[in-house]
Amino acid sequence: MKCKKIEKLLLRSFDDLLKDEEKENLESHLRSCLLCQAKRKEYETILGLLRKEEDSEPNPYFLERIQTKIKEREKDAVWTSVKQWSIRAVPISLLLVLLLAMVIILFSPPKSQELSQSEVLLLRNLNPLQETTTLLEEEKVENKNMMLIFTAMEEKNDIRRYFP
Amino acid sequence: MEEKELVQLGQKGDEEAFAVLVRKYRIKVFNLAYSLTRNQNVADDLAQEAFIKAFFALSKFNLKSEFGTWLYRITVNHVKDYLRKKGRMRRIILENIKEISFIQEDETMRKEREHAEEQRRKLVHKAIQALPEKYQIILSLRDIQGFSYGEIAKILKIFPGTVDSRLHRARKMLRKKLAPFLIQKGGSYEM
Repeated sequence: MKCKKIEKLLLRSFDDLLKDEEKENLESHLRSCLLCQAKRKEYETILGLLRKEEDSEPNPYFLERIQTKIKEREKDAVWTSVKQWSIRAVPISLLLVLLLAMVIILFSPPKSQELSQSEVLLLRNLNPLQETTTLLEEEKVENKNMMLIFTAMEEKNDIRRYFP
Repeated sequence: MEEKELVQLGQKGDEEAFAVLVRKYRIKVFNLAYSLTRNQNVADDLAQEAFIKAFFALSKFNLKSEFGTWLYRITVNHVKDYLRKKGRMRRIILENIKEISFIQEDETMRKEREHAEEQRRKLVHKAIQALPEKYQIILSLRDIQGFSYGEIAKILKIFPGTVDSRLHRARKMLRKKLAPFLIQKGGSYEM
């Protein structure tokens, strides 16, 4: 058996994973191969140092320190979740406002178109030029002026006209 | 009380049940962190963090696997994160510490022998730290902490066959790194 394969067996032998046949193969090779004997010694030295190491103790009050940290983190976790929610709330509320505005714009009933005075009069089957005729036919200057003033105001305010 | 019951109580927020679990696993978790960092205070901090992580993740633990395996996995992952952040994965040049490996010829006193052994152990750990992360972890779990192949497979979530091949490679690499310090003395190999 080649030394490369033997090294594999050798390493597995440190974990007691070899079958009887493999053990025999390993031992017979080791008896005749100085190089593999040397390797075994080296591995024994290295693994021996690692495996002999004793367990160490953590620093004192290990449990108490963990419990204190857990309580601190629990407090922090509450604040963190509040902060996270508040950070999320800003874009969410903006989105909601935007959606609400879109809903209002899309679903609001269309504004009824305002009819002009002339149109209103025509719809009522009245002569829209009646006012003009009245104005022109008026003989008194004062009355005519007053009628003109009220007609001018008509555009802004829905007020009753002056008819003397 | 059985461990499963303790875990279930811990999941319900029972602090005393969790405290029992901490007392049970603290040495093992600490030594696992210590074997990978070789620093008492750092290992202490990392072990604490591993327990705190476990406490907050306990509700997600499904009790199908062993609590210990789950806890060791958390520890290994936490230590891995620490090592990556601290850049401890850099290659350590062993030549820089060559002087600590010399054996004293008149070494007869027990204290001297222990001191020499400690120095050799330090050298081996330095050599381990110079290996890639996955080999450091497998050596720590198997050869320092003494976990079985099956336990290692569960902790690292790898196949037992992968444990075997990775461990084989790690040991070979370690021997190669330490080869210059392994000297034949009186028919036996020493460092």
